[in-house]
Amino acid sequence: MFTIALKDIKQYFKDKTAVFLSLLLPIALITIFALMYGGIGKSGKSRPINLLFTDQDKTDLSQEVFSKLDAEEGLKLEPKSYEEAETLIKKGKRTAVLVLYKGFQDSVEAGKKIPMELFYDEAKEIEMGLLQQALWSNLFGVTMKKGIKGKVNTWIKDKNPDLSDSEIEDIQAQVAEQFEGFNNSEEQSEIEENSELPMTALVGEKKNGNLGLVQAIAGIAIMMLLFSVSASGASLLKEKEDGTFRRLLIAPVSPSGILYGKMLSTLFMAVLQLSVMFLYSWLVLGLDIFINLPALILMILCAAIACSSFGIFMASVCKSRKQVESLSTLIILVISAIGGSMMPLFFMPAIMKKLAVISVNYWAMEGFFDIFWRQLPLIDILPKMIILLGIATVLTTISVISFRRNLLKMV
Amino acid sequence: MLVAKNLSKSYKEVKALTDVNLNIKKGELYGMLGPNGAGKTTTISILSSLLKPDDGKIFYEEKSLYQNLSECKKLIGVVPQEIALYEDLTASENLKFWGTMYGIKGQQLQNKSDELLEFLGLADRKNHKIKTYSGGMKRRINIAAALLHDPKIVFMDEPTVGIDPQSRNLIFEVIEELHSRGLTMIYTTHYMEEAERLCDRIGIIDEGRIIAEGSLDELKANSSIKEEIHLKYSNPNKNGLEQLTDRYNGQLLVNQDHLILSSSQANADLPELIQLCSQSELLLDKIDIRSLSLESIFLELTGKSLRD
Repeated sequence: MFTIALKDIKQYFKDKTAVFLSLLLPIALITIFALMYGGIGKSGKSRPINLLFTDQDKTDLSQEVFSKLDAEEGLKLEPKSYEEAETLIKKGKRTAVLVLYKGFQDSVEAGKKIPMELFYDEAKEIEMGLLQQALWSNLFGVTMKKGIKGKVNTWIKDKNPDLSDSEIEDIQAQVAEQFEGFNNSEEQSEIEENSELPMTALVGEKKNGNLGLVQAIAGIAIMMLLFSVSASGASLLKEKEDGTFRRLLIAPVSPSGILYGKMLSTLFMAVLQLSVMFLYSWLVLGLDIFINLPALILMILCAAIACSSFGIFMASVCKSRKQVESLSTLIILVISAIGGSMMPLFFMPAIMKKLAVISVNYWAMEGFFDIFWRQLPLIDILPKMIILLGIATVLTTISVISFRRNLLKMV
Repeated sequence: MLVAKNLSKSYKEVKALTDVNLNIKKGELYGMLGPNGAGKTTTISILSSLLKPDDGKIFYEEKSLYQNLSECKKLIGVVPQEIALYEDLTASENLKFWGTMYGIKGQQLQNKSDELLEFLGLADRKNHKIKTYSGGMKRRINIAAALLHDPKIVFMDEPTVGIDPQSRNLIFEVIEELHSRGLTMIYTTHYMEEAERLCDRIGIIDEGRIIAEGSLDELKANSSIKEEIHLKYSNPNKNGLEQLTDRYNGQLLVNQDHLILSSSQANADLPELIQLCSQSELLLDKIDIRSLSLESIFLELTGKSLRD
C-alpha cells in the first residue's frame, strides 16, 4: 500500500509543470474570487429571512411589534430567549436577533430613547441589508405612532394645563387623523432619533481578513481539490489501460491494498494542495491561519479525506479515464454550485440551501467558516469534521465494493 | 514445478479454455504456440492467479495455488504482453518499485536492479525515463521487472511483439541465458520460429484446447506430414490461387508471395503441383523442399494458419 502511494507521489512530482499548474490554478482562482467577493453586500434579492425575537418587555406594544413584523412577507419571526438566540447566531444557524428590552413600551410612550437592539452575523451582509429594510418600515411605523402620541400629549398638557383628559383625547384623535400628512419636523427627527435601532455584530467582530476572502479560499480550494483528486483517482484507470494494473494484481498485494495505496497518495496530494492554498492565503491575502491552527489542520485533513474518497469513488465506478473526466467534471460543477463553492449560499433560494447538505463542498466550507469567520472552538466544528469523515466512509465503502466488482472483472 | 489440471474458463457464452492440462518440469522452457485468441493469455492469467478458472486445479511445487496464494505469487514472475512499466519513471525507479512490491528492499534491491540492468545491457540508461526508450529496450526492462524477486517460474506472454529483428534477437539471447541458468519458463507466441528456436517442449493451443504437445521432434514424428514444398511466385493471380487452395484443402498455406504445401512425399507431389500452377497461370520464381515446420503441423491439426 505505502509502496504504491510513494510511487504515485513520485510520479506526481516528476511532472513539475503539472504540479505547478495544479497549485497555481487554484491560487489564481482564489485571488480572483477573493477580489470579486469583496463587494458582497451591495446587492441581493428579496426572500423570507429568519429573524429571532427576544421580548424582555412583554407589553402590548412589544406584542404589537412582534405581530406587525411577523405579518411582514419578507420576515419569519422566531421568539427566543437572548441566550438561545446568541448561540444560534454564533453557530451560523440564524442571521440576527431583535431584542426589545424592559421599558420598551414606557419609553416609546414617553417619547424617550427606545431600549431595543439588533444583534447579527456580519457574514450575512446581504440578508442584513434586507432585514434592515423590513425592520425599518415596520418597527419605525409602530414606534413612531406611539412616540408622536406621547409627544402631542406632553405638548398639549404643557400649553393647556386646564384641559380635561377627555378634551385632550379628542385633540389627539384629530391629530391622529392628520397623521398621514405629518411631515419632516423637529419632532419627527427627535422621534426618529429615539427610535434608532442600535446594531451589534455577534459574529465577525474580531474580523479575520474579510468574509469574501474566506468564501473564496474555502469555496475555490475545495472545488479545485475535487478536480485534482479526480485526476489522481483516474490514475487507477490509467494503470489498467497501461497494463501495470495487471502486474500489480499478480504481485503479492491484495486488491484492497492497491486501492488504499491509491487513496493514500491522493490524500497526500490533497493535503498538500489545501495546505499550499492556506499558506498562500496567509502570506499574500492576509488570512490569519493561526487563529485556530489545530482546528485548521484537522479540517484540512478531514476535507482532504472526503475529497480523496470522492476521487477514488469516481475511479472505481467508471470504466475509463474518459468517463472519469466527463462524469467527475459534471458532478464537481453541480456539487460546487449547490454547495456554495461558486457563489455564497445566501444568494440561493431555500431549496438550494437544503440541497447543499449533500455536497462535500458545503460541509468543508462550513468548517472553514467556523474556523475563520465564526471563530468557533474545535468542539463546535467537530460535527462538520465527523460528517466529512462519514461522507468519506460511505464513498470508500462503495469504492471498495465497486472496485472488486468492476475493475477486477476487467483485467 | 507446475501442474495444472483440467483448467476451464468461460466468458459468458464463449469458452476460452477447455480442460487444459500442463505439467511443467523444473528448468524447462515450455512454449505455448497458437494464433491470437487461442487462449494463451487466458492460460497465463489463470496460472499467475490473475483470473480464477471456472474449473481445475493449479499446483506450484506441489502446493495448491489458491490455498497458498501469497507464497505461490512469490514463486511466479510474469512478463506481460504489454509494456507494464511507468513511462515517466526511470528504469531504475521502475525496477525498484516492482522489487519493493515483492518485498525486496535496500541494498539487496539495489544490487539486484543493477545486476539485471547490466545483464540486459541497459546499465548506462538506468537513470533515463522509460518513455525515452526504444520498443526493444522497454521490452527488456519489462522482462527485468519480472525477474527482480528471483522467481522460480516465469511466464512470458509474447515478449517480442512489435519489436525489430535485432531487438528480438537480443531478447532471445536473454531468454536462452535464463534457460541455461535453470529458470523454468512458459513462453507464449504465435511465431513458430520462436517456439522452434527456444522451447524444450511445445504445446499447440487452439480455441482454448491444447491439441498437441511434445518436443519439436516428437511433434514432427507424430505428424503424417514429413516435408514442405515452398513455391515463390511473381504474379499473385487470385483465381489461380483459389483453384490451388480448393485442390489442396487444408494442406496449402498461401502467403503474400509464396505457397507452402504440406506433404508426406514431396518428390511425388511436386510434379502435379507445378502442373497445376502452370494451369492456374502462376509464374514460379523458386521451388524449395524443406523439412517439416510447426506451421504445417498447426495447419494439419487445425486446418488454418497460425496467423489467421
